[in-house]
Amino acid sequence: MILLQRLSKRYGATLAVDDVSLEVARGECLFLVGASGCGKTTTLKLVNRLVEPDAGAVFVDGRDVRKGAPHELRRRIGYAFQQVGLFPHLSVAENVGITPALLGVELAKIAARVDALLGLVELEPARFRERRPADLSGGQAQRVGLARALAAEPRVLLLDEPFGALDPLTRDRLQQSFAKIRRELGLTVMFVSHDMSEALLLADRIAVFDAGRVVQIGAPGELLAAPADARVAELLATPRRQSERVEKLLEGSA
Amino acid sequence: MNEALAQLPGLAAAHLQLSLAALALAAALCLPLGVLAARSPRTGAAVLGVASVAQTIPSLALLAIMVPLLARIGFLPALVALTLYGALPILRNTVAGIRGVEPALVEAARGVGMTPAQQLLRVELPLAAPVIVAGLRTSAVWVVGTATLSTPVGAPSLGNLIFGGLQTRNPAAVLVGCVAAALLALGLDQVLALLERGVRTRERARVRVAGALLVLVGVLAAGTALSARLAPERAPVRIGAKPFTEQYVLAEVLAGWIARETGRPSEALHGLGSTVLFDALVKGEIDAYVDYSGTLWATILKREGPPPSRAAVLDEVAAFLAREHGIAVAAALGFENTYALAMRADRARELGVTEIGQLAPLAPGLEIAGDYEFFQRAEWRALREAYALSFRAERTLDPTLMYAAVAAGEVDVISAYSTDGRIAALDLALLEDERGVIPPYDALVLVGPGLQARAPEAVAALGALAGAIDAAAMQSMNLAVDQGGHTPAAVARDFLAGAGTQERGRSSKR
Repeated sequence: MILLQRLSKRYGATLAVDDVSLEVARGECLFLVGASGCGKTTTLKLVNRLVEPDAGAVFVDGRDVRKGAPHELRRRIGYAFQQVGLFPHLSVAENVGITPALLGVELAKIAARVDALLGLVELEPARFRERRPADLSGGQAQRVGLARALAAEPRVLLLDEPFGALDPLTRDRLQQSFAKIRRELGLTVMFVSHDMSEALLLADRIAVFDAGRVVQIGAPGELLAAPADARVAELLATPRRQSERVEKLLEGSA
Repeated sequence: MNEALAQLPGLAAAHLQLSLAALALAAALCLPLGVLAARSPRTGAAVLGVASVAQTIPSLALLAIMVPLLARIGFLPALVALTLYGALPILRNTVAGIRGVEPALVEAARGVGMTPAQQLLRVELPLAAPVIVAGLRTSAVWVVGTATLSTPVGAPSLGNLIFGGLQTRNPAAVLVGCVAAALLALGLDQVLALLERGVRTRERARVRVAGALLVLVGVLAAGTALSARLAPERAPVRIGAKPFTEQYVLAEVLAGWIARETGRPSEALHGLGSTVLFDALVKGEIDAYVDYSGTLWATILKREGPPPSRAAVLDEVAAFLAREHGIAVAAALGFENTYALAMRADRARELGVTEIGQLAPLAPGLEIAGDYEFFQRAEWRALREAYALSFRAERTLDPTLMYAAVAAGEVDVISAYSTDGRIAALDLALLEDERGVIPPYDALVLVGPGLQARAPEAVAALGALAGAIDAAAMQSMNLAVDQGGHTPAAVARDFLAGAGTQERGRSSKR
């Protein structure tokens, strides 16, 4: 479904993405994890051509993404990122419905779709439809951003820390509903995160990045069982260490 | 005051029309340029540099330079100059507004699948709009204010009241012009402020109201101008005037005369620079104006040396203008307005001086004052050489101060215009140029080729003014404006009322 072939991207002296090859199967959710500046976000943006590679190629649905106009590619691929980027001059409904509107979908259909999506991300449509982004909390804005990414019924979704600004409860609920949605819709997902718990819970496979390269790729179980090196092991150990500490605290208080 | 108020609606409409056209043009040019400049730093630096330079040129100079550059007077040069003048704030704010859009929003716009044009129209421009409209407001205030300076290049504006009022010592007209220009600027600024608040708070109702107001004002201003243009046969006969009192009066006299004798609409265009008038007549931008035979002799025929007789100069000038430019001399009005040396009458009597020749032996003990150009002019050189004049001191003074100085005895002799009303008012005596050194300055009504073809009856009517105004009549009309506080139009009306009875009397005898 998504095929990355020997991609490289250089910014000045730094090689942000260094000869990366990856494949995401239809309906699969691949997490890109790693420390800040490891090249995971750049790799994600190479897929919908927000960044153009210096070398290598990207195929979506077997088609080279460089064929055709970038905006047409992006209308087929849902994209949500941490800063969200809701358009402040448009209402919540207009933000969510923007890509279908660009595609020329009928207004009535867009309205119905917007309401359905707002429900999906747990925002009551009647209350939120006409609000301005300035009147939303950070978490609400991120949910609207996710709804916007899903609005044109894409089969491919690119997510860059979409739950970064959510409180833990909402984050937990949304992670679960995301898992359900993407299975129901059969979405192919590339998901950038530096939250290892999130990755372990939601990913079919995880690609661990370091200095622009993929250090290891595999199912969560495989990575936990056989980390490729000390850094991967360290990264994977974090959620376990944290949950052990939490358990101890809970036992102590009980 | 009433006179000025009567002119106000027409001039305000013309002023608004010119300002709005310049603003619209500046916005139409600067929005795309600003977008380009925001995209490319190098283009940005170049474009903003050029606009800043245009801004540093004094506005009056910018307007004036457009006349030779575009080789025409009137609306076009004023429009071009005002557009340039209003460009910078719009340009600068467009660049700042677009550069100020959050990068995350640009990324989101690309991410949701907008084309570059959609990014611009749906995201960047709407978000930059408050800043751009703020630039438009600054520009609007500048342009409306500066538009008053388009009067000297022949585009009617509220400046007509200000310039005309200053020249004819009519403070009420100046005041009306200034207040009206200020109100216009404030009003336009308020409408744009409404638009700015609307786009800032994203209240569509407010934006719509402001937009509708702007369109309404534009339609009103354009409508008054169009209605004049839609009826070319009824296009008014346009009479030009150099920027001084006598010319204002004469332009009103000619315009009023044509209107009454032929029923054609006519208008007096005040305050054109004296140098552009002749070219404007040749090009048909004005239909007639009064010039002086000696001036034409020197500046158009380019003759030097001592002039022949008054009649010979007149004949040669008329023949030359008809041959070279198709311009007709419809009438010699019957007076000369020449440079002359003047003294206080009692002082002249005391010294026993009536001719310039008698002044020469006394000159080393006397002071002479001239206006800004007198001591640079050929007339002064000719006088000095012919009469061997050598004064104790030569002072250059503002004309108003010059008359006051001679009346107060601070200087002994001044250069005067022979028809200046102040000669009689201050009891000055003109000294005779007994050797005929100064060329004759007969006031001639010049008519352009356009009017000769379009309205021969108007040319004939102007011909009837031959000999209608003698030097004393002209002096008293000038005096009525300069000291009496009457407007040129009112003085012209009085003259026409008198002339009408004479004329009717004469024609009934025929």
